[in-house]
Amino acid sequence: MPPSNTNLLQGTLDLLILRTLRLGEMHGVGVANRIEQITRGAFAVKPGSLFPALHRMEEAGWLASRWGESANNRRAKYYRLTKAGLRQLRAETEDWGRVSAAIAHALRTT
Amino acid sequence: MPMNSTVSSFFRNLFRRSRVETELDEELRSYVDLRAAEHVRAGVPPDAARHRALVEVGGIERVKEEVRDVRAGELVQTLLRDARYALRSLRRTPVFTATAVITLALGIGASTTVFSVVDGVLLRPLAYKEPDRLVTLLHLGQGSVSPANYLDWRAQLSTFQDVGAAEWWSPNLTDTDQPEKVWAMTLTPSMFPLLGVPAMYGRVFSRDDEAGDHVVVVTHDFWRRRLGAVPKAVGRTITLDGEHYTVIGVMPPSFHFAPFWVTRTDVWAPLDLHARAASRDMQTLRVFARLKPGVTLAQARADVHAVTARLDSLYPATNRDVRVTPLLEQVVGDIRPTLAVLFGAVGFVLLIACANVAHMMLARATAREREMAVRSALGAGRGRLVRQLLVESAMLALLGGALGVTLAAVGLKVLIAQSPGSVPRLDTVALDAPVVLFALAVSLGTSVLFGLVPALQHGTRDLSDALRDGARGAGEGARRSKLRSALVASEFALALVLLVGAGLMIRSFRALSHIDAGFDPHGVASMIISVAGSKEEPAERRTSFYQQVIERLAALPGVQSASAINHLPIEGDMWGIPYTVEGQAPPKVGQEPHTTFRVVMPGYFRTMRLPLVQGRDFTDADRMGATPVVIVNEELARLSWPGEDPIGKRIHVAGAPNDTTWQTVVGVAKNAVRMEWTAKPEAEVYVPYLQDRMLMQERSSWVAYMTIVARTSGSATVLASQMRGVVAGVDANVPVSDLVTMDDVVAHATAGARFDLLLLATFAGVALVLAAVGIYGVISYGVSRRTHEIGIRMALGASRRELLGMVVGQGLSLALVGAAVGLVGAFALTGWMRSLLYGVRATDPLTFAAVSAVLIIVAIFASWLPARRASRIDPMVALRND
Repeated sequence: MPPSNTNLLQGTLDLLILRTLRLGEMHGVGVANRIEQITRGAFAVKPGSLFPALHRMEEAGWLASRWGESANNRRAKYYRLTKAGLRQLRAETEDWGRVSAAIAHALRTT
Repeated sequence: MPMNSTVSSFFRNLFRRSRVETELDEELRSYVDLRAAEHVRAGVPPDAARHRALVEVGGIERVKEEVRDVRAGELVQTLLRDARYALRSLRRTPVFTATAVITLALGIGASTTVFSVVDGVLLRPLAYKEPDRLVTLLHLGQGSVSPANYLDWRAQLSTFQDVGAAEWWSPNLTDTDQPEKVWAMTLTPSMFPLLGVPAMYGRVFSRDDEAGDHVVVVTHDFWRRRLGAVPKAVGRTITLDGEHYTVIGVMPPSFHFAPFWVTRTDVWAPLDLHARAASRDMQTLRVFARLKPGVTLAQARADVHAVTARLDSLYPATNRDVRVTPLLEQVVGDIRPTLAVLFGAVGFVLLIACANVAHMMLARATAREREMAVRSALGAGRGRLVRQLLVESAMLALLGGALGVTLAAVGLKVLIAQSPGSVPRLDTVALDAPVVLFALAVSLGTSVLFGLVPALQHGTRDLSDALRDGARGAGEGARRSKLRSALVASEFALALVLLVGAGLMIRSFRALSHIDAGFDPHGVASMIISVAGSKEEPAERRTSFYQQVIERLAALPGVQSASAINHLPIEGDMWGIPYTVEGQAPPKVGQEPHTTFRVVMPGYFRTMRLPLVQGRDFTDADRMGATPVVIVNEELARLSWPGEDPIGKRIHVAGAPNDTTWQTVVGVAKNAVRMEWTAKPEAEVYVPYLQDRMLMQERSSWVAYMTIVARTSGSATVLASQMRGVVAGVDANVPVSDLVTMDDVVAHATAGARFDLLLLATFAGVALVLAAVGIYGVISYGVSRRTHEIGIRMALGASRRELLGMVVGQGLSLALVGAAVGLVGAFALTGWMRSLLYGVRATDPLTFAAVSAVLIIVAIFASWLPARRASRIDPMVALRND
């Protein structure tokens, strides 16, 4: 069943999560904050979309997870990119570049 | 998503569910903690920070649900959880659950029973090699073929890989402790290769076997019963009609070749056509053929048409109307309309059961609105709740299905025991894998039917509305109650169609039972004694043997008279032969009138109480050398000498003693049923045994037997049990067969109709009960929900009578709407039953009216019960109830 309340395209959210995690291990709150930050507040990722996406990508083998301690000694689940995830990021980045260039072109010319 | 990781996570999730669940809980808790910590850092007081974090997360349950949803394998998990939950909630309402399960079990059980018959009889391919290519070539699709025609076809047809022929044979098995009349067939050597089934032991006939060789192939059953069930039985010799035959093969147990015109076969021998290769009169062969690969039925028909047209111009009137019929069609074609009607009927029963459970589910959904609202408020999505309802339906249906299959196992036993012998291939019918799969599919299919409606109904109401008034259960949505009414009305419509079907069967069965057989069957017992191959067969012993048996039977206490005939009416064989009437222009070749040919001994008419309307019975003086005489039936007299006195007139029956002598009519017998119970009377002639050389002298199992009949003032069953002993007292080596009472013979003739009636009446009865339960349920549910309203009406002065009328009126109006729709449906559908009916039209107004009346009376009664309860409501209690 697809997440129903996300206002992001699923692929976009995946791409943003992959991109965020390229910098290193992060827990859920960290991922959400980081995405909000890098998109200049355009995307506030709610747990309702975030967690299904994280779990889906983990099932797909793009992410791996472990339990660890946060900066202020709280247990949290940390996600990191796998090799497959890195490949996926590269592929999706390329795709995104092609698609966005095409759409930008289309919007300019018509 | 890579397949292997999906599969592995599927199993991980399945087996380590709790770990995954705990982790998810923990992850979300940590998320909330971390968020709260952030808010604290931003200066929010700890309590408020935590609250704010929780609000941000939204419904925790919902997030968890969605994570579960994306997990591979989660669906199975959810279904299992839903199933457990469903079972728990079904256990909480045992009456509802039991009613629904029993209702479904009736529907599923009935349809599974009938499907197992349809599957075994109609759908399963015949157990031969590539059975789709097997066909029969017969006159008018049924009539047998002469040897010369068969040989011509075999030589000239080009679209067939092979053509073969079979002929009925009924030899005596002697030289054993238990002599027996054997069901047998003679086959051209091409027949076994044509069917393509090898022997289990030994071999089948091959083309090298000379026709007329004394070899036999036997069935598995015969081998077990008579040959000691040992492989070395191959090579043994058995005595048939006094001649020795070597057993060369035993067929496997699954092999049956007793298609359509005989009911059973135990022994096959090669068919010798040499002596009659030129005969175009003796039509005794059934012709089978295998299409060449790739040849269509249409091409084969064109081929047969061309060849027979050419032959017909060479030999006039010998090759008319030769039809190519697929073998399966030939075997099961007659039973198909019956099974189609029965299958339709159980389909209706199943639909009624579904409708019943659907409105029960609707009522339950209303009662559970609050539960659903609470779960919804806790964050369960609508999809989740709909799924939950569907899983509940599926659980009900599976329980119903399990019970239904058990019912079907019992039903099938009853059905096979009750079935008339005329249903082909009943031995292949079983509750096997395809049937169980069918039951499973039907169960799940019905669960969607009756589960989807209430499930989709759910959530059309506003949540807060439901929470507010769900507690009191005051108002049921108008839409939902309309839906329930529509369901009940359609149950009545369906039930009416079934009842009309059953009503028509009752009428037609009554009509069948009132047919006058012509004779009085009560008190008559009969048997066939066959002297072929025994020491009584020679002409000088045969007649006195028959007479001794008859005399000893007549001497038994209680026996009023005894006699003999060649072929017993209804049950026995029937020979049709041409006849000519003295003084009338001889008809053209191939257009002679035919008559049924009977040979009787004196006293036959008295024994059967078949009245002679004119003239006299035969006596012992009507013998060889005396004037040849016959007795004719009324129909032959009417056809040959309309308006004249037939006594003293003369006819010539071919095949009778001296081919040129005229036979004088000395009596006219009342028309009697000949073979088919409902057939119109046709010409029939009775010849005295002592003037029929063939039956007295010819050595062949074709003619060396008589059917002995005896009438007792006591019980025919008791008489029948004594008859075998009487024959053994004269000669123990003469086989006795077909020992029956005439009452049984007559009952058997209408057994098919009785069987159809029994089944349709059962289904209609079940339908009526279900529909009554349905209307009772809806009305009584409505009453219980409207207690408050009824209380107000009473307080305002409505009388008990008025209330009674109001509630019954509601039930009645539902029934009337249903009945009206049902009448239209029945009118459109009963045409399908036409081939099952006798003596009543498919649109018989009396049946339609009577059935509608029954249905409406049942509806009034079913709504009267809750109405009476409503009228006894104490207004004070009802109003205080709030």
